[in-house]
Amino acid sequence: MVDADTGAQLAVKDVSVFYGNFCAINHIDISVGAGEIVSIIGANGAGKSTLLKAIIGQADRVEGTISFAGDDIVGRSTKEIVASGIMLVPEGRRLFPSLTVEENLRLGWDVGRKGKGDIGFADIWKQFPVLDERRKQKAGLLSGGQQQMVALGRALLANPQLLLCDEISLGLAPLVVNELYALIPRIKARGIGILIVEQDIERSLAVADRFYCLLEGKVSLSGRPSEVSRDDVIKNYFGI
Amino acid sequence: MAGVWINQILQGILLGGLYTLFATGLSLSAGVMRFVNIAHGDFIVLTSFILLVLVTSLGINPAIATIIVLPIAFVFGFGLQRFLLQRVVGENVLLVILVTFGLSIIIENGLLEGFGADPQKISGGSLETATIALGDGINMGVFQVITFVAAVAMVAVLDLILYRSGIGAKIRAVSDDVVAADLIGLSSARIYAIAMGISFVTIGIAAGFMSIWTDFDPASGGTRLLIAFEAIVLGGLGSLWGSLVGGIVLGIAQSVGAQFDIAWQMLAGHIVFLIVLAVRPQGLFPKY
Amino acid sequence: MPTAPNLLLSGLRLLFAAVVIAMAAGPYFLDPTEVVIVTEFLSMLVLAIMWNLLAGYADIVTVGQHAFVGVGAYAFFGFSALAGLDPYSSIPLAGLVALIIAVPAMILVFRLRTAYLAIGTWVVAEVLMLVAGKLQAWGGGSGTSLPISIVLSLGRARNDRLAVIYWLAFALAAAAMFVTYFLLRSRIGVGLTAMRDNEEGAAAIGVNITRARILCFLGTAPFLGMAGAIITMQKLRIAPPASFSITDFTVFIIFNVVIGGIGSFEGPIIGTIVYFLLREYLSELGTWNLILLGTFSIVVILIERRGLWGLFRRLLADDIVPVAHKPTQPAVVSRRLSATES
Repeated sequence: MVDADTGAQLAVKDVSVFYGNFCAINHIDISVGAGEIVSIIGANGAGKSTLLKAIIGQADRVEGTISFAGDDIVGRSTKEIVASGIMLVPEGRRLFPSLTVEENLRLGWDVGRKGKGDIGFADIWKQFPVLDERRKQKAGLLSGGQQQMVALGRALLANPQLLLCDEISLGLAPLVVNELYALIPRIKARGIGILIVEQDIERSLAVADRFYCLLEGKVSLSGRPSEVSRDDVIKNYFGI
Repeated sequence: MAGVWINQILQGILLGGLYTLFATGLSLSAGVMRFVNIAHGDFIVLTSFILLVLVTSLGINPAIATIIVLPIAFVFGFGLQRFLLQRVVGENVLLVILVTFGLSIIIENGLLEGFGADPQKISGGSLETATIALGDGINMGVFQVITFVAAVAMVAVLDLILYRSGIGAKIRAVSDDVVAADLIGLSSARIYAIAMGISFVTIGIAAGFMSIWTDFDPASGGTRLLIAFEAIVLGGLGSLWGSLVGGIVLGIAQSVGAQFDIAWQMLAGHIVFLIVLAVRPQGLFPKY
Repeated sequence: MPTAPNLLLSGLRLLFAAVVIAMAAGPYFLDPTEVVIVTEFLSMLVLAIMWNLLAGYADIVTVGQHAFVGVGAYAFFGFSALAGLDPYSSIPLAGLVALIIAVPAMILVFRLRTAYLAIGTWVVAEVLMLVAGKLQAWGGGSGTSLPISIVLSLGRARNDRLAVIYWLAFALAAAAMFVTYFLLRSRIGVGLTAMRDNEEGAAAIGVNITRARILCFLGTAPFLGMAGAIITMQKLRIAPPASFSITDFTVFIIFNVVIGGIGSFEGPIIGTIVYFLLREYLSELGTWNLILLGTFSIVVILIERRGLWGLFRRLLADDIVPVAHKPTQPAVVSRRLSATES
């Protein structure tokens, strides 16, 4: 169930992503182990979101291999990729505003990996009592923080082995962000790998086991947050 | 004298039932996919011709012929969306308008080639002539009442599918945010195709009732489309129950207009539509 | 050093100019039947240019363009036959009436979003046709013929009349091309093109898109109306279904532009030429004509959205009539940015 070369659950190997003739990601290698938290940092336009889109099967043209649980998933549909155990928490939450909280969550359940689902609706209601109270409310009427809870809940109900989080702190109050980030280690504890894309470097490095810094579509720095200096990160972040 | 007008209004309401049958499928496809299938009316007419062939060649009851046609209609609508329209959906609404426009002209002229320009009709037997007399010159045709009930039932069933079923939630999700749907693995292309399949089932049902209610000829698809379109805009785009109200408003306008002068029938419907568009462009029951 | 595509381009530009000049003198060397056909070609070309301007640039997909052709026909009849004005001043007046009718029509249909606007224009056309059928002075539902006195005032001999109508159609087509050319070269045209290609681009250029669309919609109406007037001079008759013919003035036009190449200056010209060639050689096909054109245009949309011109354009260095300004660096950069991180 792991990649033969690296032993990782997700292995992005020599991957390039193109939009037309424009190369947004240029020959990068990234891996995420089972139950590992990996953070991707980088400036605007470095290719972070593109990487997530490539993994989930929504990029225009991908070269190289992305192996997940031992299979190359490049060229598979998002539907198949999600069913095999990768789920995205999209940037900007992207809930369906006219659907109720419960309907939004159920969509995650419907598209998700079948089989031994250890996360059920009961877990979500327990974790987010505020959502339980608002089950029948339209998702568009929730606050930003509550919407992010639904987005996270929707992803977890898909019973993923790997969770992709795209800018989950964006536009939220610090207290809400704290609450959401407190959940990350608990998700990890269930053996779920997490790939975090985040503008807020401090926040994401604080929870990450390892990180990659992207610069103009390439990995400019990688390692364990404890092993690199802040200056190094900043230098490789801005490319100066 | 009052009886005449009450009768006209009643006939208009019943006619609104037929118009609702034209409109619900268009309301669904336009509400979900955000484009108007210009060939909607022509598909209703095409299906009516198919029913005509089934009824005359096999000698079967029109209702049975309609039921036979429905699953085929679903598969056809699914395939049409999945393999043709999906290729031009999304980036520019111009392309999908033009493709359905092309289809509309192909169907119309194909039927003209195959069946000639003469009006056709399917006989509903004794059901067609049976009436319920309410006194004071007010009469309701039994078939017209059945059609109206069918229209209400169709809206109710579609409402249930859309708001109480799993596939309904997916259809609404795709209608809300197609990009997000694809990002979480909902596969909008497949859901669009299912929505179009459902829309085509309503086309089949509409054809079943229309082919008995009125004459149809290859060129009559355009009028059907305009009526369906006016009903959904009047009712408020995306609102299924709204299209029932829109259909009834059009039916009454036409029926009362015809009472003044038979030549005013169509014009009266269009004018009511334009007036509502001028004063209340979001329709009577806006959804989006 | 001229490359092969450039040479071909220069050749085509010369050919285009030569044909235009030759056409100006058409009645001197064409026989009467040919004069009639070329006149029809020119009026259809006007309709195609106008539809292309709306659908290809201003994002207004109309299937109700025949409305203004019919209004022009009826107004022309009103001014010339009923009010007794001379036919020459009746033509611009017919255009003016089309413009006046276009204002409320626009206010109504612009309330609908693009996808629905198409059918909205059709409803408007239907209403105008039904109303035209109610005008007793215009012959009601069955229409009427243009009085012989008006026909004679265009010229005593038939050939003279044909030539006069020919030059009117030629002048209108030339005016339509000039106006579109300068409109597309202007800031408004650049803004519309930018909007079509990339929505952020239009905002960057700072063109008010709503105003540009209004201008295009109102600008096309008088041309359609005057075309309707000229078509009436040629057909010598008005009647609701014929003067407001959706098949002749909208369906064929859309197919021609799509096949020729939507959103390009050359597209409507090529499409109309192809249509007339097909019509001359395939006229016995009847309804198959429309089935074929419909199928062909769907295939064009699926395979090469820019039509025959788009296909042919690959061989050339530039457009024959260059309406587009050369792509600028900032546009490319902004598209890259929006593509990389979103």
